[in-house]
Amino acid sequence: MKLVPIPREKFEEYRINLMFDCYKWDPQFLDNNTIAKYALVLTQEEHKELEMLTESIDVETRNAEEFLNSNLHLAKPLGLSRKVRNEITKMKNYEPEAHIRLMRYDFHPTIEGKWAVSEVNSDVPGGFAEASLMPELVLGVVEENDFRFICFGDILTEAILKKVKRNGRIMLVHCTSYSDDRQVMQFLGDRLTKEGFEIIYGAADHLNFRDNKAISILDGNEGEVDAIIRFTPLEWLVDIKPKRWQGYFDTITVSCNHPVAIFAQTKRFPLIWNTLENNGINMSTWRELLPETVEVKQAKGREGFIYKPAYGRVGERISIKEACRGDEYKKILSDVRLHPKKYLAQRKFNSKPLKGENDEEFHVCIGSYTVDGRHAGYYARISDLPRIDSHAADIPVLIEGNDEDE
Amino acid sequence: MNNKEIYRIWAPYGKKWVDWVRPVPFVSVNEYSRNYNYMNMMVPKVNYLDDSYEGAAIIVDLPGAESVMEGLGLARKGYRPIPIYNGTIEQKDSRATVDNQTVGAALVWGAAQLSQIEIKDDALPVFLLDKNRMNRFKMQISLFDNSWDIYHQDLPSAEYFIENNIKKIIIIGSSVSKDLKKILYGFQKKKIQIYLAKNYDEPKIFRIRKQFQKDI
Repeated sequence: MKLVPIPREKFEEYRINLMFDCYKWDPQFLDNNTIAKYALVLTQEEHKELEMLTESIDVETRNAEEFLNSNLHLAKPLGLSRKVRNEITKMKNYEPEAHIRLMRYDFHPTIEGKWAVSEVNSDVPGGFAEASLMPELVLGVVEENDFRFICFGDILTEAILKKVKRNGRIMLVHCTSYSDDRQVMQFLGDRLTKEGFEIIYGAADHLNFRDNKAISILDGNEGEVDAIIRFTPLEWLVDIKPKRWQGYFDTITVSCNHPVAIFAQTKRFPLIWNTLENNGINMSTWRELLPETVEVKQAKGREGFIYKPAYGRVGERISIKEACRGDEYKKILSDVRLHPKKYLAQRKFNSKPLKGENDEEFHVCIGSYTVDGRHAGYYARISDLPRIDSHAADIPVLIEGNDEDE
Repeated sequence: MNNKEIYRIWAPYGKKWVDWVRPVPFVSVNEYSRNYNYMNMMVPKVNYLDDSYEGAAIIVDLPGAESVMEGLGLARKGYRPIPIYNGTIEQKDSRATVDNQTVGAALVWGAAQLSQIEIKDDALPVFLLDKNRMNRFKMQISLFDNSWDIYHQDLPSAEYFIENNIKKIIIIGSSVSKDLKKILYGFQKKKIQIYLAKNYDEPKIFRIRKQFQKDI
């Protein structure tokens, strides 16, 4: 794995093209540029290993969620909110083949020469355009050219074409007030429009459900929809008032993702692995890749643990001391003391940084997607700190060699 | 001019502060569903700048296209206008809570004006915001809510302002919006003085009380 620099004289044009041609609408976060000045290149072997691990861990996740969906009484340690617990009983009609299952596993290289997985983005993984158009663009910018990439957008589109009727109507459900969400949806919407689908950009409460089918109530766009692609996190959805979101849980309209995703979305998912294994569900790849994870109280007095929120996003509120800014570390610890059940403790892994042009070090997180069990490409970020959060920069992922080498 | 060229006029390469120009309104200018007539629009003459503005960054928080025009007026007085509009356009055929297209159309119109103005490299910034952004009242649930907020990550940090010798921020607008209060309370704690120039009057110091913030 290596960082290949983007020639300095080409960077500004690359940045503009990312914004205007590749849906990168958030190129700045506070004082930080969020576009890396490098491409990340994986060797064939690294790619093959990640692909194998991703597909293997994904089988375990999907088996686990299907088992939990049939055995809800065993899901208690997940600490799901009361609102969610009340609704998941409706998911009994969930048929995996009828929906599209999209996940992203976050891999990190460690100093021991292995991979660690920090989490699965099971519910609403993002980074669609960065995993599709960004590597394509960078191929024309970097000086070496014996590289290829996997286009996430093509693979997701293929899955949608298989399960949603031709020229069907698809609602891209997201928080319509956030341009950061819209950029993800707009990429997919434009891609699907080219395939002949009718795309509706709407919010979660723009869907009603009748006979378990989703109906758009969005002004000027009313009527049945053939698929829901949701980017509104489930834990936000269930807070929407008035309560009209129950239909998401038992809809037969093709969903990506169906709310069954909630089981693995909570970072407390590892706390029920013993139960799953006792019931014959293999979790060995997860065991191999995820650092030891325990309840907050079980980590008391033990060294080498960090705290993570059960529903954290983009690295927020993770207590890696050297990566916290200002009084953030103190505030996290105080919140953990107040709400221990909303957190978990996880053994900290030692991220192995990559070297840049001038020997500067960057920590890497490689998000590896699956769509219906198939590996579907990469979305990566780098940071000078060992926590990949909103201050990190997006970096395109390329693979050494071309298709013919395989 | 295509949208990249228009953006480039507002965010010229290598100039200070321009990294914060948000691309969102520029990206979608070719998809607008409405036409706006700016034939009779004029860049306003700015005649209120006095000693109280010395060394201060400005945030213009005025409704719609008016904020763009005011930014251009201030550009003529030597400021670097930094549009930080972040609202998206609505779903086709839907009525929306905010007309974000009006700002984009004004930025297109204003690009021609701005390209005629020479702005010094060390110009102070004027950040442009649409006061209508938080219109999120929905008469009907079926409306498309494209209201938006400004967040701390959309502006430079307090430290960055201080490093650049800016210890005063003046807001031009009718009031200090709720979202700005959340950001500027943090600035105030770091000894940056916040002023409000209400209705273009003389700026008066504005003390922000602690804002309720969910994030820890």
